[in-house]
Amino acid sequence: MGLAFLLALTATFVFAYRVGRQARHFRAESEPIRAWMSVPFIAHTHHVPPAELFAAIGVQPRQPHDRRSVRRLAHELNRPVPEVIAQLEHAIQQERRTGGPPR
Amino acid sequence: MNDQLLAAVSQYGAPALFGIVAIAAVGVPLPITLLLIVAGSMISQGAMDLWWAIGAAGVGSILGDQAGYAIGRWGGPVIVRKLSGLLGKRVDLPSMEAKAKAWGGPGIFVTRWLVTALGPWINLASGTAGYPWPRFLFWDALGELVGAALYIFLGRFFSDRVIALQAVLGDLTWTLVALAVAIALGWQLWGYLRRLKE
Repeated sequence: MGLAFLLALTATFVFAYRVGRQARHFRAESEPIRAWMSVPFIAHTHHVPPAELFAAIGVQPRQPHDRRSVRRLAHELNRPVPEVIAQLEHAIQQERRTGGPPR
Repeated sequence: MNDQLLAAVSQYGAPALFGIVAIAAVGVPLPITLLLIVAGSMISQGAMDLWWAIGAAGVGSILGDQAGYAIGRWGGPVIVRKLSGLLGKRVDLPSMEAKAKAWGGPGIFVTRWLVTALGPWINLASGTAGYPWPRFLFWDALGELVGAALYIFLGRFFSDRVIALQAVLGDLTWTLVALAVAIALGWQLWGYLRRLKE
C-alpha cells in the first residue's frame, strides 16, 4: 500500500508539472492548423480576417458562412492538404507582419 | 476518422454533435472533449447556438448511455463481452460491476465528465449489476449536462486556443485522478499506521 501511495503521489506531481508547463505556454504559442478546421475557424484562432485567408488559397467563400474544412477545400482545389496549410500559415504571418487590423 | 468528425461538427453544428456523442457514449472511442471545446469555440464565433449545443451534446450522451445500460441490463454478460470484443476492448465485467456498486451514483456522475474513459463500461456494468434505472438516469443526466456545459463554456471562453486547451485538460484530468487515488491510499495508510501504534 505504501508503494502504491508513493506511485500515486509521483504521478500527481508529474501530471501537475505538465499542466503547469502547458499553462505557461498557453497564450505564447500559436495554434496549429489542422485539416479538419474551416477557414473562418483558423481566422478566429489566429486573429486575422477570414477573407485574407480565403484569398491566399484562391477560394471564393460561399455565403453566408463557408465552413468547409481545409481537407475538403484541398480536395476541391486538387492540391495536397499540407500545401494548403502552408499557404494559410504564410498568409497569417504576412498579415501579422503587415499589421492588419486585429479581430 | 477523428478529423472527419471534427470537420462534420464544424460544418453541420449541433445535429452532428448529437449523433457523435451518442455513438461515443456506447463505447466507441471518439475525441468528445475536443468536439465540445470546438463547439464552444464555434459559439463564440457565432456559428452555433449555446443552448442548442449543450442540449444536443447532453441529450445525445444521455441516450447513448441509456443504450449502454439497456444492453447490460437485458443483453447480459454474454452480449457485453461480445460488444467489448467488437470495440476492441477486453472488459473485466465482475471488476466493473464491483466498481459500479461501490461507487454508486457519484461514480456514475464523475465518469460522465471527469474520468470519461470509464463511462461506457460503467453503463454496461450498471445494467448487468441491476443498478436501479431511475437512479442511473438521474446521475447520468446530471453528469452529462454538467460535462457538456463545462467543456462548451471552456471552449467558448478560450475560443482561440482549442488545441492547447485540450492538452491542458487531458493532463489536468490525470492530475485530479492521481490526486484522488493518492488521498484515498494515504487515508488508508494513515489508518493502518494508527492501528499498528495502538
